[in-house]
Amino acid sequence: MIFLIEYNRSEGRIVSIRDFDDSQRREAENSRLEIELDLNRKGVENEVVLLEAESRNALDRTHGRYFKDLRKILEDNQKGSGVNA
Amino acid sequence: MLKMPVSKTQIDRLGDRLKGGSHAESDLRLLDDYRQSFGEAYKAVVRTIRQGGEFPTGRLAKSTASIAEKLLRESIRLSQMQDIAGCRVVVTDVVKQGQFVASLRTVFPGASVIDRRDNPSYGYRAVHIIAEISGKPVEIQVRTVLQHLWAEVSEKASDVLDPTIKYGGGSEWWRNFLTKSSESVATYEEFEKRHSIAVAAKEVADAAHEKFERALAELLDRDPPDHELQELRGELEASTREMERREQEHQELRRELERARNSTADLLSGAISWLDERAKEQKQ
Repeated sequence: MIFLIEYNRSEGRIVSIRDFDDSQRREAENSRLEIELDLNRKGVENEVVLLEAESRNALDRTHGRYFKDLRKILEDNQKGSGVNA
Repeated sequence: MLKMPVSKTQIDRLGDRLKGGSHAESDLRLLDDYRQSFGEAYKAVVRTIRQGGEFPTGRLAKSTASIAEKLLRESIRLSQMQDIAGCRVVVTDVVKQGQFVASLRTVFPGASVIDRRDNPSYGYRAVHIIAEISGKPVEIQVRTVLQHLWAEVSEKASDVLDPTIKYGGGSEWWRNFLTKSSESVATYEEFEKRHSIAVAAKEVADAAHEKFERALAELLDRDPPDHELQELRGELEASTREMERREQEHQELRRELERARNSTADLLSGAISWLDERAKEQKQ
């Protein structure tokens, strides 16, 4: 699956997330660019990133920074859920 | 629509403009075309890794902000950037990390390996493999769970507190915390490696001991001469002592491993307390 994420860095939170099938790669890339251009016109400096993972859970494990605050990152690791391999 | 190929000079000029703070729409579109030119190489790398049984999380496109920041921070040109496309694999421990890196070197024989475990970058420890497919580099990040945890803490703190934290900036508290916790993870992983070696040696000793026991049993069935029996019993006693020594070593390493793990956990707990205090202050 492909995930298109708009992330507000300074607030440490996701503004929007949209998922695409693997076959929709080009559509995901185009959507990423459209969001970036739109934010640029508005003068908003959010990060826009395209990630690909087996599932949303797999994405949580390898890119938890987008989804969790620091406490959640540490708690999840202590539970031993930070492994994908 | 067929896009015209973009020259290296055009890419580097684009990099200069981004470095200078350009937000021109034409530049963002050109950068996007450049990102997409890594698509086939990225797919080939991920496909190869999946064939080996791992499932990396891929970053199809490095964000524009990250690219511009890297150009400002480091003295490289845009055309030299090796992590426009990449993927990440998080493995359980440092032993598996070594095995996985070795397997990547086999499937990507020309790849360069950047091992930041012994020479951390502002505390960041991991192994990065740069595989090149048809002239396009793709970065594969290989992290252990603890290396990954450290990186996530560093990145998140950089996001919400101070963007310079992950590059050695920020308050003294954060610099010290990230340095000490990185060292603590390194110490822990050193014990992990030693423990793994001890476990392997113990398995060899156990197998040798079993072999002697079987040989002794077979010999007793044949009513052997005393000197042969004595010799084998002597070897068995030596083997038993070796097993006991290995077991002791194994237990000592386990205790050291536990101490190192607790030390890391204490540091991370310290970070939680610090953040809690900060949250309380902000509420007041």
